Amino acid sequence: MRLELNNICQRYGEEDLFVIDQLQLISTDAVHLHGPNGVGKSTLMKIMAGLQKPTSGEVRRMPMAGENMRRQAVIYLHQNTYLFDTDVRSNVEYGLRMRREKNTKKVDKALAWAGLGHLEYRQAHLLSGGERQRLALARALVLDPALVLLDEPTSNLDIGSVARIEEMLQDLHRRGTGILLACHQDNALTKLCNQHWLLAAGKLTVQA
Amino acid sequence: MNDLWTTFSTAIAQLLSGDPELWGIVGVSFSVSASALLIALLPALSAGFTLAYFRFPGRWVAISLLNSLLAVPTVVVGLVLYMLLSRAGPLGDLNLLFTRPAMIIGQILLCFPLLVAMSLSAFQAADHRVLETAKTLGASPLQAFVTLLFEVRFALLAAVVTAFGRIIAEVGSAMMVGGNILHHTRNITTAIALETGKGEFVQGVALGIVLLVMALILNVSLGWMQSHSRVLRHGT
Repeated sequence: MRLELNNICQRYGEEDLFVIDQLQLISTDAVHLHGPNGVGKSTLMKIMAGLQKPTSGEVRRMPMAGENMRRQAVIYLHQNTYLFDTDVRSNVEYGLRMRREKNTKKVDKALAWAGLGHLEYRQAHLLSGGERQRLALARALVLDPALVLLDEPTSNLDIGSVARIEEMLQDLHRRGTGILLACHQDNALTKLCNQHWLLAAGKLTVQA
Repeated sequence: MNDLWTTFSTAIAQLLSGDPELWGIVGVSFSVSASALLIALLPALSAGFTLAYFRFPGRWVAISLLNSLLAVPTVVVGLVLYMLLSRAGPLGDLNLLFTRPAMIIGQILLCFPLLVAMSLSAFQAADHRVLETAKTLGASPLQAFVTLLFEVRFALLAAVVTAFGRIIAEVGSAMMVGGNILHHTRNITTAIALETGKGEFVQGVALGIVLLVMALILNVSLGWMQSHSRVLRHGT
């Protein structure tokens, strides 16, 4: 899938937060989005995921040649991921339930992929920080998303958890999911990325 | 002291004997209040959600009005409804005065502001990421709303219990628009008022016990659900 942004302007009050003439993200990309605090990285990602409307401009989702038309999901993962007040398994099943799709095997595979199979009936609120991030990724994986947009996914995680998330993202990318990663610091995750976008002073610059 | 004990024990005996008149009165109370609550619930939750999540002109006026309505005495609601439904009133042709539907309307007017105000607080306190997470995982607006209801279910249950407690225990509106007609509109509170006026305390005490037991059951259930939720959340 190709996600296109055309003439996007986001304003807060009288000031432009950012203006982006043209931008595109495709499901083979792995992009590191960086920039100072408060420049609008999260807002941009929410606009791309369709969770927020820009002040002006348009966001278009276009299928690539030969791609499954149903594969249109663009999933945004919050910096502090929100888990529903149910058990781990129900959280993974959530997106499928919304599609009225029952696929136990898919859920089992996603749980195993995230290393959460033994915790499937544990209440999601009892998970550790690393487990929460893995659950958020498993919840995305079952939907076979075209793009996953991650907002500071490794903040407050230990080295071991970061390495685990890195492996999962690598695997997700290999499966054909595009990744946009907002991260302040360079780390193992940002090394996965083949593009770097800098959002600063209201402009987005694509870096080599 | 002996009189009090005799009255209390006779009231218990009357309850246990399954006295049809007494339990009929209890039935009227429960059917009227449950109907009012069921009718008011969905519109009230929708109104609470709208006030919590949408900004529109007059929103603060609506919230202030709502908070003012919380303090309106039940007898005033009864008076206004009586004037509307009486033969000379604008809704007199509907012939609703002294009927159960009139009592239900009165109780809807009483519980609606309470349900809106408490659901508004629940929605405002809800994590803003609930709707975003639901939407990003493919939920439609309606599915996202249902997810939000689930996430704040304990606060909403507290609203329902509080609203039910308010309307089943109110006497002013039920007396004025119900008319206290035996087997039709006589409910627990109007029966207690009538029996006490006649100096017949046994039935009043028996009905009072029903109200107290009901309040106890509702609040213990709610407390259990809330503490159970905390155990699930924190594991302690």
